[in-house]
Amino acid sequence: MRVLILGWEFPPAKTGGLGTHCYELVKNLGRKGIGVLLFIPKKSGDARRNLQNVEIVEVGSLSSNPYNPTGSTTFEQGYGWSFFDEVRAFNEECVAVASTRQFDIIHCHDWMTIPAGQELKKRTGKPLVFTIHSTEYDRTANLYPFRSIIDVEKKGIDEADLVITVSSNMKEQLMERYEADENKVAVIYNGVDYLRFPGITEKGHRNIVLFLGRLTNQKGPDFFLHAAAKVLEKESNVLFVVAGQGEKLPELIGEAISLGIIDHVVFTGYLSDEELLRAYEMADVYVMPSVAEPFGITALEAIASGTPTIVSKNAGVSERIKHCFKVDYWDTWDIANKIVCILRYHVLGECMRRNSLEELKGLGWDRVAQQTIEAYRRA
Amino acid sequence: MASVCLYFQIHQPTRLGKFTVFSEKVPYFDDDRNRKYLERAAMKCYLPTNATLLDLIDDIGERFRIAFSLTGVFIEQCQKYSPEVLESLKQLSDTGNVEFLSETYYHSLAALFSLEEFEKQIMLHRGLIRDLFNQGPKVFRNTEAMYSNEIAETVEKLGYDGIITEGHESILGWRSPNYLYRPEGCKSIVALLRNYKLSDDIGFRFSAPWWKEYPLTADKYAKWLSACEGDCINIFLDYETFGEHQWKETGIFEFLETMPYEILTYENLDFKTPSEIIEAYKPVGVIDVPKVISWADIQRDTSAWLENEMQRSAFEQMAKLERSVKTNRELLHIWRLLQTSDHFYYMCTKWFADGDVHKYFNPYDSPYDAFINYMNILQDLKRRLATESKLISF
Repeated sequence: MRVLILGWEFPPAKTGGLGTHCYELVKNLGRKGIGVLLFIPKKSGDARRNLQNVEIVEVGSLSSNPYNPTGSTTFEQGYGWSFFDEVRAFNEECVAVASTRQFDIIHCHDWMTIPAGQELKKRTGKPLVFTIHSTEYDRTANLYPFRSIIDVEKKGIDEADLVITVSSNMKEQLMERYEADENKVAVIYNGVDYLRFPGITEKGHRNIVLFLGRLTNQKGPDFFLHAAAKVLEKESNVLFVVAGQGEKLPELIGEAISLGIIDHVVFTGYLSDEELLRAYEMADVYVMPSVAEPFGITALEAIASGTPTIVSKNAGVSERIKHCFKVDYWDTWDIANKIVCILRYHVLGECMRRNSLEELKGLGWDRVAQQTIEAYRRA
Repeated sequence: MASVCLYFQIHQPTRLGKFTVFSEKVPYFDDDRNRKYLERAAMKCYLPTNATLLDLIDDIGERFRIAFSLTGVFIEQCQKYSPEVLESLKQLSDTGNVEFLSETYYHSLAALFSLEEFEKQIMLHRGLIRDLFNQGPKVFRNTEAMYSNEIAETVEKLGYDGIITEGHESILGWRSPNYLYRPEGCKSIVALLRNYKLSDDIGFRFSAPWWKEYPLTADKYAKWLSACEGDCINIFLDYETFGEHQWKETGIFEFLETMPYEILTYENLDFKTPSEIIEAYKPVGVIDVPKVISWADIQRDTSAWLENEMQRSAFEQMAKLERSVKTNRELLHIWRLLQTSDHFYYMCTKWFADGDVHKYFNPYDSPYDAFINYMNILQDLKRRLATESKLISF
C-alpha cells in the first residue's frame, strides 16, 4: 500500500497538533511498511528527515511559502488574502506534482489540503481520506468563522470516502454542523510519544503554573489569566507561565497589567523543543482552558512530563484521560480552586501524575498509525 | 440442621457540599443532596422492603427472623428527611422477630486510628438504638465488616457476645464460613462469618445475565441453602440490594417475598438472628486475623479507603485533630461526620479509570475532586478550631 499524504505543517515548523500528528503518523506508517509520499509546502526550514519508507516532497516555491521567515506564522496573524492565494497555489501544485506519481490512497489533513485531494480523487479514482484536526468553528472559538472555509470543509467531508476525527466530541460536531454521515466518520484519538518526555521526576515545587499553546481565543489564555488573579488572592508566591505566541499576546500583556498580576506572569514567546520539555517538567500544574479543543496533545505531553493537569471538559483529550481535573473553561473560580489545591496538597499531584502517566500507555502513535491503516482499508 | 441468618446493613453517608479554597461560611454538608438521595432510597428500597418484611413476619410468624444494622448517620438523616422509614423500622422491631446490631455511630474508620474514639462512637450508637428500638445490641459489626484480632478483643471487652466479619478464604483457609469461630486471643466472644458466595449471589449476581445460574429463583436458592453443611449460613446484605442495586424490574422483590417460604419447606433449615445463632451453636475453631480485613472488593482489606496517598494523608490529618476537637461539642460532631468511611472511598483511585463499579451515589466527578473538597473542609475546620477555642480560653 502506498499512500499520498497532503500535509500543511511538518516539524520543526509547526503551530499545533496537525504538525505533530503528521510527523508521527508518517513515521509510524513507514515503520509498519506502508509507503508514504508526503507533500508539504516548501519553506525555508529543513523538513527532511530520515524516515523509513517515507518520501517527503516539498511542493511549491519559496515565494509561495506560507511560513513567514520572521518566525511567526501566517496562522497566527489571521488569514490575509495572500494566505488564501498560498493555499490555492499549494493545492494546484500538489495536483500537478501528484499526476506524475503512483499511489493507492489519498489522505488530506484539514481544509488547506482538501481541494487537491478532491481533484486527485476525480482524476485517479483513488479513495480519499480526510482527517480533520480542527474545524473553522474551533479555530475561531466560534467568533466570526469564515464562511468560505466552512464551505471548503463541508465539501471535503461530503466528497471524502472516509473522514477521521480526533475525538468523539469532534465527530458529533461534524454530524451536527456539517451534516456528516455518521458511518463515514471514524474517531482516532491523537497520541503522544511519551518516551520522549521525562515521566515522573522530582518536582521542585516552585509553584509554577503553565499555559502552553497558541495565544488565540481558541486556547483560552485570557481565562488562564483570570484564574491566575484568583489564585493570587490565596497564594501569593506563584508564577504563571504563558508559553507560546499568537495574535493575542499584546492584549494578554495588557490584561495581566490591568489585573495587577504582571509581576507573577511570564510570557515566554516561542519555545524550542528543548525549552518546551523543560517548561512541562518544571511546572507544578499544567492548565489547558481551551474554548474549543478537538483533542489537545499538549495535555498528554504535560502528563508524559509528570505534571498534574487541568483540562477543559470539552477537550477531546478528556474523553481518554480520567486522572486529571476537568473544568469548564469559563469557570475561573473552579480552575483557581483546583490550581491552589494542587499547589497546597502535594499528595494530590503525586497521585494524579502517577495514575495519568499510566493511562498514556494505551495512547502511543503506533496505535494511531494502526488505526489509520484500518481506516485506509475501509475507505 | 442449619440456621439461615439474614442481616441487612443500612447506611447513608452525610455527603459534603462543594467547598473551595474561596468558600467562607458555606455549610460543610449538602443537605439538599442528602435529602434527595435519602428520599429516593426510601421510596425505592427502604419503605417497600420494610413493608415486604413486615408482611412476611405477619404471615409466617416467629419462624421468620432477621437482623438489621443501621448507622447513626443514616438514622439522623431519616429523622430529618424521612421519619416514616424509622416508623416502619420500629414496627419491625415491635414484632420481636428482628434483632438490631451495634456499630459505630458514624460508620467510621475510628477502629483504625483510635480505640478510644472507636469505643465512644459505639456507645453513642448503643444509646441511639436503645432509645429508638428499646434493644441493647449484643452483636457488633464494624464499618464494612472491618475486623482484626485487636478489634475483636476491644469489642469483647465492651461486653458483646458476637462480632460480624467476612468469611473469606484469607482467614479461613479450607474451613467453612458456616460455623462460629473464636477470635484469636478472645475468651467469650464469637465471630459470625458472612457466606460471601451465597450473599453475593443475591447482592451482585441476582440480575447478571452472564451468570450461569441466571435467573436466580427462590426455590433454587433455597435448595442450595438446604444442601449446605454447617451450623449457620450467614447471608449479610446491603439493604439497598432491594430496589436500588437490584432494581424492582429485576424481580428482586418477588424473590424476597417467596424466599422465606421456600427455605422453610426444608426441614433441615430454619431462621435465626445473630444472637440466637450464638446461643444455639458453639465455635468450632479459632480465626487469627492480625491484619485488618473487610468485606469490600476483591482484596477484602482496607485499601478501598486507605490506599493512595490522598486517602492516607486526609485520614491522618483528620485523625490528628482528635485531642483538640474534643473541647468543642459542635465541631466534635462535624469532625466525626468527617470520619464516615464513604468520604475516603470517594478518593479511591483503584478502579477509577475502568469506570468504577461502586460509583453509585458518588457525588464527585473524580477521586481528586473528592479529595480537595474534603481537604478544604478539613482546613476550614482546623481554622475554626483554632479561632473558636481561642475565644473560649479568653
